[in-house]
Amino acid sequence: MDDIDAMFSDMMQEMDLLTQSFEAETESAPLPKPPSIPAPQEMNFSIGFTDLNASLHDLEDNDLDALMADLVADISATEEKFATERDTFKGSAPVAQIPSQPQSNFNLIASTDTSRPATSSNSIAAPPPPPTSKPSKEELEEQMKADKIKLALEKLKEAKVKKLVVKVEITDGSSKTLMVDERQTVRDVMDNLFEKTHCDCNVDWSVCETNPDLQTERAFEDHENLVEPLSTWTRDTENKVLFQEKKDKYEVFRNPQNFYMWKKDKKSLKDMKDKDKEQLLESSCLVLHFWVQENFCGASVIVPDLEGILYLKEDGKKSWRQRYFLLRASGLYYSPKGKTKASRDLVCLVQFDNVNVYYCKEYRIKYKAPTDHCFILKHPQIQKESQYIKYLCCDDVWSMTLWVTGIRIAKYGKQLYDNYKAAVRKAAGSATWANRTIQTSSNASTPSPTPKAKAANGHASHPAVETKGPGNQTSFPPPPPPSMEILPPQPPDPMLPPPLPAPSSTTKVNKFPPPPQFPQSSIPPPPTDDLPPPPPPPEDAEQPPDFLPPPPTSMTSYGGAALPPPPPEPLASLPPPPPAPQNFASAGGAPPPPPPPPPPPAPAPAAYQPTNSVRKVAPSPPQRTTPQLAAPSGGDFMSELMTAMQKKRSQP
Amino acid sequence: MAAWDLTVTVEDLGPDAPPLQISVTSDLHIGGVILKLVEQTNLKRDWSDHALWWEQKQQWLLRTGWTLDKCGVHADARLIFTPQHKPLRLGLPNGATLKMRACFSSPVFRTVMGICRVLNLRHPEELSLLRPVEEKKKKKDKDSSEELYDLTDVPLTAGSVQALYNGMPAHFADSPKTEAVYKMLSVSLPSPAPEAIAKLYRPASIVDKTHIHTRWLDSSRSLMQQGIQENDKLGLRFKYYTFHDMDPKYDAVRLTQLYEQARWAILLEDIDCTEEEMMLFGALQYHIGKQSLSQDMVSSCQGMDDLESALKSLEVKMVGDGNSTDMLDNMTAPELNDHLKIFRPKRLTLKGYKQYWCKFQETSISYYKSKEDRYGEPIQQLNLKGCEVAPDVNVAGQKFCIKLLIPAPEGMNEIYLRCENEKQYSQWMAACKLASKGLTLLDSSYQSEVQNIQTFLSMQRSSSAAPTSQTDESINTHSLVSPRYQKKYKPKQLTPRILEAYQNIAQLSLTSAILKFLQIWQALPDFGISYFMVRFKGSRKDEVLGIANNRLIRIDLGVGDVVKTWRYSNMRQWNVNWDIRQVAIEFDGNINIAFGCVNADCKVVHEYIGGYIFMSTRARQQSDTLNEELFHKLTGGHEAL
Repeated sequence: MDDIDAMFSDMMQEMDLLTQSFEAETESAPLPKPPSIPAPQEMNFSIGFTDLNASLHDLEDNDLDALMADLVADISATEEKFATERDTFKGSAPVAQIPSQPQSNFNLIASTDTSRPATSSNSIAAPPPPPTSKPSKEELEEQMKADKIKLALEKLKEAKVKKLVVKVEITDGSSKTLMVDERQTVRDVMDNLFEKTHCDCNVDWSVCETNPDLQTERAFEDHENLVEPLSTWTRDTENKVLFQEKKDKYEVFRNPQNFYMWKKDKKSLKDMKDKDKEQLLESSCLVLHFWVQENFCGASVIVPDLEGILYLKEDGKKSWRQRYFLLRASGLYYSPKGKTKASRDLVCLVQFDNVNVYYCKEYRIKYKAPTDHCFILKHPQIQKESQYIKYLCCDDVWSMTLWVTGIRIAKYGKQLYDNYKAAVRKAAGSATWANRTIQTSSNASTPSPTPKAKAANGHASHPAVETKGPGNQTSFPPPPPPSMEILPPQPPDPMLPPPLPAPSSTTKVNKFPPPPQFPQSSIPPPPTDDLPPPPPPPEDAEQPPDFLPPPPTSMTSYGGAALPPPPPEPLASLPPPPPAPQNFASAGGAPPPPPPPPPPPAPAPAAYQPTNSVRKVAPSPPQRTTPQLAAPSGGDFMSELMTAMQKKRSQP
Repeated sequence: MAAWDLTVTVEDLGPDAPPLQISVTSDLHIGGVILKLVEQTNLKRDWSDHALWWEQKQQWLLRTGWTLDKCGVHADARLIFTPQHKPLRLGLPNGATLKMRACFSSPVFRTVMGICRVLNLRHPEELSLLRPVEEKKKKKDKDSSEELYDLTDVPLTAGSVQALYNGMPAHFADSPKTEAVYKMLSVSLPSPAPEAIAKLYRPASIVDKTHIHTRWLDSSRSLMQQGIQENDKLGLRFKYYTFHDMDPKYDAVRLTQLYEQARWAILLEDIDCTEEEMMLFGALQYHIGKQSLSQDMVSSCQGMDDLESALKSLEVKMVGDGNSTDMLDNMTAPELNDHLKIFRPKRLTLKGYKQYWCKFQETSISYYKSKEDRYGEPIQQLNLKGCEVAPDVNVAGQKFCIKLLIPAPEGMNEIYLRCENEKQYSQWMAACKLASKGLTLLDSSYQSEVQNIQTFLSMQRSSSAAPTSQTDESINTHSLVSPRYQKKYKPKQLTPRILEAYQNIAQLSLTSAILKFLQIWQALPDFGISYFMVRFKGSRKDEVLGIANNRLIRIDLGVGDVVKTWRYSNMRQWNVNWDIRQVAIEFDGNINIAFGCVNADCKVVHEYIGGYIFMSTRARQQSDTLNEELFHKLTGGHEAL
């Protein structure tokens, strides 16, 4: 393992150097540069590798393989980009001489800079003026200078992006490893996991963290960032990230009456049921719209008016004390003995700004709790038993769910409902109950104007109004390099067919953005200097941008700037690509699975040819020794790393 | 047809002038009567606003086409010829009194629409007029001296689109006087003196609260019909607590007045809140007050937005124009370096504070044994991201401490930083505050944060130095909380607590601070409930009925506990038996309730329920026009039909 670590730190240094050189470049006046030295391509990966390094410790070899595939894909995509750009540049160089050079550099950087959120890439894509208009030199220079500065700022920002390698355990006992970027939300991560696991995308799926020390479990909310909480784990942590279905995650939106009318005794609810089931179904739909709308769509969120007796573990003691608790939007309160329940007499136990709520397991044994239905409130960074944790215990599971859900509503407010809507959109295809929330009961039988009004209010159309296609994620930060999602996560499959030289050109089609120029590399490409890369060929239309993260962002950003964006296919509608080896063999047509590495001697521009192979999967280290002229350092390190791993694996 | 004499008093002839006698026949229509009347007065003036008021019957004769016979006017009728628009003193939600002309002949609903049009308040259906609390006689003398804003000269424009001029509706831009009125309407007023709050009427119990709502005027009848005279005082308030389509761009007045109403509701303990909530309300009031003062005259919110975006783009430009070295200078985050005393209570030492050389960089504090050691390894580095920062300050005692609760896997690390003086404190405090949110000293809000802390400190200085007599400039924190908390805490205890809450909201803009205030107000459990004392059918005791925007609540009068809740969504129909003045409501599942009102007119209750149902229909309508007919249908009762 040590040599791998060393490798990584070396690589990191290398990248540091590269960034520095790049900075130096941007600072200097826009001198014409030999086009064969495109600026630091591999900047795609951030410099913040320290965490990566740390998290690599925990990885198994096969995880490393998958990860490698990721990284390699990243690099190769980048390099290809450069190849495209370079080619286009060659063609256009005579037309617009000096000014166009940095120009092309910009385009290229903008397009390689894939993992940046849409806004920033837009800002880059937008400014470059078309050189064809031939503005005065000064203007151009000024413009370029400004662009460079902006770019430098962007780069610096980018360089700070933190990434983590996360191992996610799945309910069936298996696990997936993926790289998570600091800017990704849990929603993004789950979208990746959906692709990886091919499970139904129902709204209950959650990413949870468990803490064996505290015996807690908490589902991350969809809008949270994953990297931040994970990076506060301690070094020797036994915490885990789970991917599982959690029924109570969005239960409040499916059966709001259970949360907002909890006071109604169960008997009367049951009676209602017995009375007329059909009518209940109908009216519950109505009620549901009504409730959700009323409680979550107003100016402020109405927190369920929960109150009742809970046990509170006394500070620093082993005893648990009964108190009468009340939930308010501003915090969790209890009413001291002998006082009324009036607001003025309440004592605030905790406010929710800095704490999260966690479910606990088996506290009867651990802390002598009255029941096992406990939850705690703590600062997310606290990982061990502490006086700063509030321990609470409920009489039964249901009241625990009520309280925890209520606290989540108080803490996250409308965000929770937005998350839910997004999750429903995602699940729209597969889940049937989602339809129920959308449908309006037109034959509502209530004569008083209210319900009708409420129902017609448009809540019904709410989910529909959000017009974004279910999987159209162009607005999301791109998912982490997904190539490994498609691949079988297992160690190199010996059955993989050997590299096929002939289809190498066809396989390139898969590599999304710069499709044409590889086959045509010998012909000078059209002078599309200021234009974004040509739209993908028709075969690619099937391929949603999400499969190849780096290119799509650039594509979309271009789309925003000038070009019609590539047809974004809803993610949900995509059949998960079977990772069968046959697909590899018949490479051309099947977009997702990256083909196995082709041998070096492919007919392409010498400098950039190898990039094709880089795109290929991890398992073939020996071939990876091909020199990578475009990115000498990065490429070399990658291949060396591979070799090292290979060596290690071969050792008994 | 025989002619007979009709007696009409023309008010414009003076109070002592005898009534005019005009000779009419029963088939003469009202327009004809007015024509004859005007001819007889020999006064040349604009009579178009005048109409006939039949005092005995308490009704206007507004249909000029109707004959006297049809109206039922006979020789014994005493009519008064009087203007339909008369001046009225309006008590606004912010406590100011505004004199303006209002229509005395149309239903109150329409009168309010007219008033709101002048005041530039959108969605007038949410407001209504109510009679003021009877004031004691001896206070009356003082009232004459109260500041009165006057808008009586402003003509009532009929439905025209409000043109903006200088960021305010054109009719306010006429004179400095009217501009001042607009400022009063659209900018929240400074906090009242704590004594003033304590003096005002506060409902002590839920029964008191039921009295407030007995005073609403009937929306379907005119002011004259309800005994309101010229120059009488009425309160204008938000009546229905559903605020539709709130848009800071257009709703400067509406937002401000709503904020004022909410603020007074909290200060006067109309609505209960917890201590924590009160501190936050106090901090927000302080912030809003300060922001309003600094806001130059009446710059509309839109203007502010423009300015902000302009500043932003300027900023970008500057970054772009500056040479790269400048930029890099900017990129390297500034630091704070100073001697500070640090105390860690966890270590159970009695030594207390010890001096270290501290460096604040990015979001961390590193401390060294001495200044000379600063290039070596720090004794410790504290990353403040995600930590809790609390002030521990006593200006009088020259104690400036920052309490940090830094989360760690084992729990929270408690650390105190002691600063020498205000300046040092405000710098380090601001830095800690930003760092806890993950921001560095580079953040643009740093300087304003430093200033905020300094002003707050100076506030504490003045209030602790002279606890009894405040100068006008300083705000006493007592004026930010209700009398209950004024009694509970001294200013010097209160100030740090408000300061603590203040830190979380100090970055908000004026508009977002107001919105935040309203949001917290709306999240209070008792928000938006109007109380009425009722007696349920079959019950022998009085109970309280709470009417909210989505439900009816039956409340026990003695304890104040909620007995039962019914939601409008389950409501099938409601009826009023006007003869026995009883409201009967049927809910899904054959649930029927009926009650009579004890101290309020049951028309008020009926109107409240119908009004809320009307409010809930609004979202459907795309157009801005108000469906007046529907409102009257839902709230009018038998008179409207």
